[in-house]
Amino acid sequence: MLRSKKSWFLIANTAYIFSVSQLKVSQAGLRAFQRVGDFIKPTTRFIQTFGRFATRAKVHIDMPQLQALLEGKKIHVDMSLDNGYVILAIGEDRVLGLGLYIDHMVSSQLPRKEIRDAMLWDG
Amino acid sequence: MTGFFEQYIDIIPDFSSFQESLQSPLPTHIRINRLKTEPAALIRSLEEKGVRLRRASQRYDTLCLAPPLSFPGNLLEYYLGYIHPQALTSSVAALVLSPEEDCSLLDMCAAPGGKTSHCAEIMNNTGLIVSNDLYPSRHVALGHTLARLGVLNAVITAYQAQEFPLKHRFDFVLADVPCSCEGNFRKTGTTGQYRGIRGKELLPDLQKKILFRGFDLLKEKGRMLYSTCTYNPRENESVVNRLLNERDAELFPIDVDLDAEPGTTEWNHEIYDKRLKRTARFYPHRVDSVGFFMAGIGRRS
Repeated sequence: MLRSKKSWFLIANTAYIFSVSQLKVSQAGLRAFQRVGDFIKPTTRFIQTFGRFATRAKVHIDMPQLQALLEGKKIHVDMSLDNGYVILAIGEDRVLGLGLYIDHMVSSQLPRKEIRDAMLWDG
Repeated sequence: MTGFFEQYIDIIPDFSSFQESLQSPLPTHIRINRLKTEPAALIRSLEEKGVRLRRASQRYDTLCLAPPLSFPGNLLEYYLGYIHPQALTSSVAALVLSPEEDCSLLDMCAAPGGKTSHCAEIMNNTGLIVSNDLYPSRHVALGHTLARLGVLNAVITAYQAQEFPLKHRFDFVLADVPCSCEGNFRKTGTTGQYRGIRGKELLPDLQKKILFRGFDLLKEKGRMLYSTCTYNPRENESVVNRLLNERDAELFPIDVDLDAEPGTTEWNHEIYDKRLKRTARFYPHRVDSVGFFMAGIGRRS
């Protein structure tokens, strides 16, 4: 894990890292976490890559619920979770990214610009 | 416009079929990203949406033809990083280079990142890839592609490829160099949108410098792939010929299950080394994709 002022980057552990340390590197590995105010928030891409290994705080949604979230609505979730970030998954454990769970209601933390309307189609 | 290609009538086999193929629409190919999903699961889930994929290669189960899809970027699977739209011939490059796990690899001209991410997949996210591209403006697309596809073993640098520092040698080097892009005619409808005429004249010299630097960055038993998406022998065989003349280089055969033609050894009154038959030319009337050239290079033992 590498750290900059506001972000943490995850890179595969390899001896080559030291041998290329003389190069001017502009980006390294996958941005995994970033500081947002007082909180440290996982990135969508990190969650998409590793979220499938999570055993807790994972909320499975369907396509209408995804559409509602992307319209800015909150969805009700009948789960007993601590308030905070949750992993949003759809279908067969396909991890979309993050939601924010507060008192049984989940709002979207998904990157709206990257999810085009045409993607919200399930056949 | 296709009259432009008549200069290649002596080296492109079945030239009339080639000319016809330039008028037909380019099919949509996608590459399935094994870092995030398995081909069988992905094919099944797309079938449930009515999108039937067809295998584009018997040997490589991640390369698929997506006949009904015009814009695979509009699939949720694209956002999830399960697929990457990539021309079939272009996606073969990383498979030909075939980097091993835990190795070091330099992609000299990496943006927008299709081949870097494919190498990362083949390496199973181990070892290290230095993904280089001169233009920081292109790093946005490059970084986005690598993040979307779940690449964890790459760093991005911004050196001029032909002046990449000689501080570290690599097991594998990929030089997918700037070229006149004639092979993209079916996609763009132009015979090279990359640069103006003057720029095109300068390309072989730039390509030679990049190829030589890539070769010099190779470890003793390392392997390199030089590729372009053009038919022009001045940018292909001629460039590699200079390497064979001036360095202790050898060519290894291009082993793919696509219909490739051997490289040419003569064009426009120039005679090239016979070993250039080991290079591969991909034509749209033989492989239903964009035109491509590949040369596999190693050090002579």
